[in-house]
Order: sequence, then structure tokens, then C-alpha cells
Amino acid sequence: MIVKDVVCPFCGCLCDDIEVEVEGNRVVAVANACELGATKLTGERRMKNPILRDGDAWKDISYDEAIRYASDMLLSAERPLLYGWSGTHGEAQCVGVHMAELVRGVIDNTSSVCHGPSILAIQEVGHPGCTLGVVKNRADLVIYWGSNPIDAHPRHLSRYTYYADGFFLENAFRDRKVIVVDIRKTETANVADEFMQIQPGGDYAVLSALRAIVRGRAESIPQTVAGVTREQLIRVANLCKEAKFGAVYFGLGLTMTQGKYKNIRNAIELVTELNRHTKFTISAMRGHYNVYGSNEVNTWMTGYPFGIDFSRGIAFYNPGETTAVDILARKECDAALIVGSDPAAHFPRRCLEHLADIPVVQLDPYPNATTAFCNVQIPVAVTGIDAEGTAYRMDGVPIRTRKIFSTEYPSDEEVLSRMYALMQEDG
Amino acid sequence: MRFLMITGRTVNQGVTVENKTSVDYAEETSTCFMHGFDMLDLGLDEGDTVLVTGPCGTVVMRVSASSEVELGTVFVPYGPYANHIIDADTHSTGMPDFKSHAVEIEPTDEEPKMVHKLMEDLGGLAYDR
Repeated sequence: MIVKDVVCPFCGCLCDDIEVEVEGNRVVAVANACELGATKLTGERRMKNPILRDGDAWKDISYDEAIRYASDMLLSAERPLLYGWSGTHGEAQCVGVHMAELVRGVIDNTSSVCHGPSILAIQEVGHPGCTLGVVKNRADLVIYWGSNPIDAHPRHLSRYTYYADGFFLENAFRDRKVIVVDIRKTETANVADEFMQIQPGGDYAVLSALRAIVRGRAESIPQTVAGVTREQLIRVANLCKEAKFGAVYFGLGLTMTQGKYKNIRNAIELVTELNRHTKFTISAMRGHYNVYGSNEVNTWMTGYPFGIDFSRGIAFYNPGETTAVDILARKECDAALIVGSDPAAHFPRRCLEHLADIPVVQLDPYPNATTAFCNVQIPVAVTGIDAEGTAYRMDGVPIRTRKIFSTEYPSDEEVLSRMYALMQEDG
Repeated sequence: MRFLMITGRTVNQGVTVENKTSVDYAEETSTCFMHGFDMLDLGLDEGDTVLVTGPCGTVVMRVSASSEVELGTVFVPYGPYANHIIDADTHSTGMPDFKSHAVEIEPTDEEPKMVHKLMEDLGGLAYDR
């Protein structure tokens, strides 16, 4: 059976033009997806049933037992951490927020180690952004700054920027220029019209130099700034000013380096300067397919996008204090529920050492690095494959992912709802 | 020799990320991409193993020559190997310095561990090895 218009549940592009061929409950062929999406859609080796760590062995348990274990764990904890959420649908994220409030826990999502700093900058100076469709149809200049879409978002260039047709561009491929700013000469840099290579840690200085030039202060710029020549800086600033519609897409090259949210703030303020001359927008290259959704759901339920602490009985937000890496590194939480992420693969080791000391329950379809630290893992259906639900694309557009086929696996929302019902009864 | 270690996404990391118990994921995330001249300085050939020491410990990786990285810089795909030596300090932002860690790198005869072994070293219990 061929299923058309499937939504890919891998990255923040949420490509919705995928075609898959299904045999029974397996995807046997994928068309239109990138290699990342195709591999996820055809993924196998799922965990067969819930497991419980029993000393130095694992034993199979039922869903009822696993859900009861998780409910009891969260209710008996003094400071539970509910982390992850970017690899699941919005409906499950809603239940997670209710659970965190009930047990006065901390709920954080993967954006705290992704684009959390971008959100901090947006909270300071706003977000002059737009949808991907606007960029596709109007932008004649696209800047990828500290992001490498060919590896991380492989269809971003073909669907929305470099290789895409644009409604208001006569010959989009010829008329649209791409600038890449990075410390590495990445694959994306190789296809760019202009590559501005900066020294590691030099983003803030280069952004400041561009702002000065756009403000008419080119004479104040030294011969080189963080490895970039004055001539190139002036050329790039002019390309930006001369564009009819420019779009900056920035990645973790800005959020994970020193300066963090201050880098993003400077980038947003450069875009603000450019809007005195032409139309310019800036947006984050979001990673997980629904990390944007975790920020949306958390914000409309609690007022804050990530790192929300309910220990006071109200929502409290203080990144650096109420974020998962900090809470684990300080050995503060006494239980952890992990949903739709793999902190053991992506957190520093000090966090993992604490995960090994506390009870951990994980909802995930596959054995992953965090499995080793679990007391219980509950396999669930994969959103976008055998579960459906709402996800938010990297530009904030909500898209309903589709169920391609049915399996016996419950969705994240079903498991969490049963867990929450038990907690309401017992709490 | 001292290097700046940067971590990031690669296609192969993304392709294997849903199968973290696989050899392919372990191989990709334990690869240390290094400039060819730096490899010459350290006397390393393609695929040789190195001991990488960061602020929180050591981990063994395998080097691969890359024209993408500058001298004095190494690139390691996101994953448990780089995170084994990365400090958890977030400078009150929630975000560790995933892309700006100074590390020491020296040749070694040791082999990179599998992911489950790294997890067991930190107190975990491997499943589905």
C-alpha cells in the first residue's frame, strides 16, 4: 500500500510530502524523504515490551505494571524531573505538564540544550521571524549562520531556500544568494555563494562589526575581525542591504558557544538594523521534529517555554537553575521521567552519574543510551508512524502527523494519560 | 597536544541516532575529525585511536582526516563519547559549552568502547547489547 503526504517525524522541517510503501506494519520504501527521514520511517529493532531492571538483569513486565511503577515513582519523589518531550506529539506534552504540576516537579524539554539560549534572546529583544513559505517565495538572500543544513536539515535548501522555486522570484536559483557563516567549511559552505569563515568564538564580534557597517560606521572596523577581513564584512553587509528580502537561519553554532544567548541577541539586533534598509527576518533551525511544539505547549500552559519548576505550587522559570542539565549536575532531583529524548547520549557525564543514582522511567520505542539508567522503560508507538498527533514545524506552523499503520504499541499520550489518571487517584 | 573540541550534527549521526546500540552509531560518534597536518604532528594515520582528555575525564576515539576543520580544532559528532568528557557547567543558561571545550589529545593503543560500556562505566546496565 502506498501512503502519500506522510509527515516526516525527524527534524524541524516536518516535510509533509513524503510517500511511503507499507507492507503489513512495516515501511518498506520511502520516497521524497532525506536519508535521515527515510531511516527513521523504516526503523526497526523496537523494544518489544516494557522492561524492569532487576539487580543486574532485565525482566519483562506488563504495561499495567510499568505504568503503576512510573506513577508511584513520581508520587513518592520530592523533586521529580520530567524531561524530554521534543520527540513526541503535543497532546502527550500537555499531559506531561499536568503531571508535573500535580507532583510539583520540574518539567524541561530538549530546547534547554538546543535553542534554549535563542529563546532567552527572543525574550529580551523579540523575534522578527516568518514562516518558511514566506522565505521560499520571497527571499533573495539567505544566510545560514552556525548551521549546516546539508547534514542536519537536508531538505531545508531544496524545499525552502537555495534550490526551491519562489513565487515572487523569476528565476529563484539564479536570483537567490546564499551566505554561510561558520567556523568549519561545511558541505553547506561548499555550495554557498559566499562563505565567511570566522575563528571559533568570534560570532559576537563579527555580528557587532556587521551592525556597525550597516549603521554607516565601516571606518571603525579593523582590518580583520575574528579572522574575517574588513573587505568581506563590508561586502556581506552590502549584500544584506541590497537584498529585497533577506532571511537568517541560525543554528547551534551560536547557541552552544561562549556568549550563548548574547550571540543570538546580537544576531537579532543585526536583523533589526537591516530592517531600516530592507526586509529581513531571522529564525532558528530547530532540531527535533516537535521541539518547537514543546515550547509552544509549555508556554500556553504555564507561561514559560522550558525549565518550569512547580515546586512552589506555581510555575517558576529560571534557566540555569530549573533546567535539566543543572538539576542533574547538582544531584537535585530524586526521580526522572524521560519522554521522547535520550539524555544519556546528549548530556555531560556528571548528569549521567546522577541518573544512575535515582529511579528513572523512560518512554521510548527503542533501546537507547538512557535505557542503561532506567528502572523501567515503556516502549511506545512512534509519532508519525504508528501514532498521530500535532507537531510544530521550526517556523511555528502546527502540522498534524499521520498514522501510517497500526500496531499494538500505545502512544505516548495513552501511556501518560493512564499514568496521570493513576496519579490523580492516588495523589 | 591541545585542541578546541567542537561537537555537531553529521548525516551519519542522524541516520544512526535511532539505533544507539548499533556499531555504526558507536563508530560515528567516536570519530574525532582532525586536520591532516595535526595528524602528522601527532604521528597519526587514518583510523588510529587517540586518548582525548577533557575537564571531566578521558575517552578513546578514532581519528579521521577532515578538510572541514581548521588546525588546532577537532570536530566530534554529537553523542556519548564527546559528552563523556564535557563539563556540565551551563554558566546559568541551561546550556553546557558543547562547542567550545579545550581538550588534550594523544595517541593511544586502546580501542574506543561501545556505547553500552561507556554507560556501564557510569553506573548503568546495558540492554540489548
